[in-house]
Amino acid sequence: MKKMTFDFRPWAIPFILIIVWEVVVQMEIVSPALFPSPITIITTGWNLTINGDLTTHIGVSLGRALTGMLIGGAIGFALGVLNGLSKNCYHYLDTTIQMIRNIPHLALIPLVIVWMGIGEDAKIFLVVLGVLFPIYVNTFHGIRNVDPNLVEMGRMYNLKGWQLFRHVLLPGALPSIFVGLRYALGVMWLTLIIAETIPTQAGLGYLATNAREFMQTDIIILSIVIYALLGKLADVIAQFGENRALKWNASYNK
Amino acid sequence: MKHEPIQIDIQNLQKSFGKKEILHDITTTFKKGEFVAVIGKSGSGKSTLLRLVASLEEITQGDLLFDGVPAKNSDANVKMMYQDSRLLPWKKVIDNVGLGLTGNWSALAEEALDKVGLLHLKDEWPSTLSGGQKQRVALARALIHEPSLLMLDEPLSALDALTRIEMQNLIELIWQKNNFTALLVTHDVSEAVRLADRIILIEDGSIAFDEPIAVPRPRKLTNPLLIELEEKILNRLMNGREIATLNEKQLAVSPLNLVVNP
Repeated sequence: MKKMTFDFRPWAIPFILIIVWEVVVQMEIVSPALFPSPITIITTGWNLTINGDLTTHIGVSLGRALTGMLIGGAIGFALGVLNGLSKNCYHYLDTTIQMIRNIPHLALIPLVIVWMGIGEDAKIFLVVLGVLFPIYVNTFHGIRNVDPNLVEMGRMYNLKGWQLFRHVLLPGALPSIFVGLRYALGVMWLTLIIAETIPTQAGLGYLATNAREFMQTDIIILSIVIYALLGKLADVIAQFGENRALKWNASYNK
Repeated sequence: MKHEPIQIDIQNLQKSFGKKEILHDITTTFKKGEFVAVIGKSGSGKSTLLRLVASLEEITQGDLLFDGVPAKNSDANVKMMYQDSRLLPWKKVIDNVGLGLTGNWSALAEEALDKVGLLHLKDEWPSTLSGGQKQRVALARALIHEPSLLMLDEPLSALDALTRIEMQNLIELIWQKNNFTALLVTHDVSEAVRLADRIILIEDGSIAFDEPIAVPRPRKLTNPLLIELEEKILNRLMNGREIATLNEKQLAVSPLNLVVNP
């Protein structure tokens, strides 16, 4: 059994950086107005948490991120499975998907604004577009690369259709699908940061953009730090799921 | 589905991959409950013959009958044991054994694992098992379906010599206790001689040699009849070269080392 001890090593560098930053600001080597000290940012964060602003904005951003992730992930997964299983579907769909994939989705922002306006739809649409392809590509390759010998064995042992998919193909593709998921989570935050600079009334992006108008650098940096923490949190959750689902795989058995 | 051994009739069977002919003029009958070993050098077509009988490949020409019915229309229960056990790495041992079963199968799976002596490993991942243990699990997985025909595609060739003897005994025991026709493909002549009622030698895509082994079981590899037979087959395989220089004494000392073209 693994003991649940806290491993300080990953956090050593961030911690030292924060200390150096605080010292530099305290010594007034840089202007505190442009470069607020960590303590100022923590205080601001605390105040915004107390008055409820921060939780509202984080909630709105998380809502957008997860909605986009769910829709995009579902579409990407479905297409990946479909093309992985059916040669015919692959021949009809893959070229089109690859062409769309190669358009940087953020380049579509002007068009998306014209088509969908500046509401929630536009932001979620961009996230969907961003996360769809990593999930698609990795699901597809995962399914295609399942050992054909295991598939043959499964058929010989009476597995057909859904049963074959559930017991052989899906578990075999899972390591690859998780790679896609973790990559997609990164794209999800990136897309959201950009998408939330489209005028809006709530969300972390709004918080930062709004703060810029009033030169509130502490709030800007606070939003960036929160993005970083949320990104890390999402990755930790994905990793946890990965370790649970792939216990059988020796390389995950640490 | 019936759980009785089946008779297999192969008539004028021919198999080609593209223009390359792999098997031709194969006509033979495997009787109900018979243990047949198919031997041959690598590339002789012996594995293709097995895959044809398992309906994993299409027959180019000829007929394959299970109890008189074309194999395609037969509901005979055919199961295969592979050289590379092919356990699903993401399922625990017991779930691998129960693969493809419906209903409440856990008691059956435990019984099957018990038969191969691995009940205590039922909650392990396959990656933690040794090669011999994996093959035992694969054997249990095949047995639980009570096959009418069990095909063994070089199931022991990746195992060490001691484990191999152990597994040969186990396979023989299980074949004797359970009613099924067994078809073993191997390149280990002593294994074929040890286990089979009948040996078929495939050479250049056709049956070169078909010999019953009338030695009573349990067999000992030191039995002079078996040694003589083994030497005869090896001689045939090597076209009389190489092996002819070995005398009987050497063969008697280490018959296990004689693996043709591993």
